[in-house]
Amino acid sequence: MDFLADFFLRFIEQFQSPTLGFLIGGMLVAALGSKLKIPNAIYQFIVFMLLMKIGLNGGIEIREANLLAMALPAVFSILIGLAVVRVGITVFSLLPGVNKQDGIATAGLFGAVSASTLAVAIVMLEEESIAFEAWAPALYPFMDIPALILAIVMANIHLKKQEKENGEGKEKEKETKVNVWQIIKESLRGSALSALLLGLALGLLTNSESVLTSFYEPLFKGFLSILMLIMGMEAYDRIKELRSVAHWYAIYAAVAPLIHGLIAFTLGYIAHLLVGFSPGGVIILSVIASSNSDISGPPTLRAGIPSANPSSYIGASTSVGTPVAIAVGIPLFIALAQIVFDI
Amino acid sequence: MTFHKAKKVVIIAEKMLSNKICEIIDASGARGYTVVPAGGKGGHHRHFTSERASVVDDFSTVRIEVIVNDKSIAEGIGNKVVEDCFGNYSGIVYLEDVEILRPAKFNGE
Repeated sequence: MDFLADFFLRFIEQFQSPTLGFLIGGMLVAALGSKLKIPNAIYQFIVFMLLMKIGLNGGIEIREANLLAMALPAVFSILIGLAVVRVGITVFSLLPGVNKQDGIATAGLFGAVSASTLAVAIVMLEEESIAFEAWAPALYPFMDIPALILAIVMANIHLKKQEKENGEGKEKEKETKVNVWQIIKESLRGSALSALLLGLALGLLTNSESVLTSFYEPLFKGFLSILMLIMGMEAYDRIKELRSVAHWYAIYAAVAPLIHGLIAFTLGYIAHLLVGFSPGGVIILSVIASSNSDISGPPTLRAGIPSANPSSYIGASTSVGTPVAIAVGIPLFIALAQIVFDI
Repeated sequence: MTFHKAKKVVIIAEKMLSNKICEIIDASGARGYTVVPAGGKGGHHRHFTSERASVVDDFSTVRIEVIVNDKSIAEGIGNKVVEDCFGNYSGIVYLEDVEILRPAKFNGE
């Protein structure tokens, strides 16, 4: 019982974090019909700022890091990304009233990674002063890209099968061929990953410590709070869209992030035992797994699986999945790590 | 100066389609087009205008206008856009009669 009580107390403590407060505040403001607006350009700039800071930080520390230690977590990231999508597709195919393409796209989005959720996790780890490998955020693309590719490939295989059954396969054969390299290129060129990778490169190759400590570091938390406010407002707005699709999406979106995170936590723990992956790193891996893409994933999926209804997957991710991953997932994984690793 | 009769094709589509649509317009022989951010409500859901932060910006809409002298070119653009883009994506196309100055600017004659 002590274990549970302790766990619960730690879990509740996380809710006093200002980051979560802003997220809930954003939802509240939108629910009350406030006219408060934050311009889109600011949102895009904030995403850039946060990922640049994470990238620079990672790049600077990678200089002295043993990159071999990254190999196992990176392999685990790929496996988690693929498994989440594969299991998600199976789950959706068993549920009644779910369009197959919509289910595949939703599973893909939940396998992909959210940059904003990652940023929140980093701030909360810093607040708790839990150390993590600076390269841990760089696991992002290892999970994100395979997940999106698998979802798009699966959707196209399914579409082809359907067309064959309908006897109209031949004409469209050429168009439905999936260009994997194209998806990788599009993902890497996306605004979030570009900023992260550019930051990594600049941190690695240039003496960027001064600009990091004088500009990016001090602004990080403040900008994150604005980002949370925007995401809260968006989450509330998207709930309306979710009402028009099957309720299974909402249920999946509420449960899946936590299960994905716990799977990643287990694999992270194995990496901890084998190659000394730090507790903070395990938390980052869990958060990456539990997060669902909000910036780069939706456009990639919209282009890759055009027949899926975006309302189903974006509503599921933005209005349920991401708030659950941030507000429940991150505190849960931190509390779990504090108990498992005794930190 | 005299005004000349011409046709305007207006396409309202998801932002992520704008490159593809512009390629269709270029291939049709039209000399130029105008793209402006749009917003509003369609058959599927509301599209926000750009004044407000939206987490997924690529689903906002754009309004693409192109004026051509020749009605058949205008119809050709409209048909090609509907065939190529609107099978799986939302959008609308319509034609308008307009009167223009300097017709040489609109399509090569």
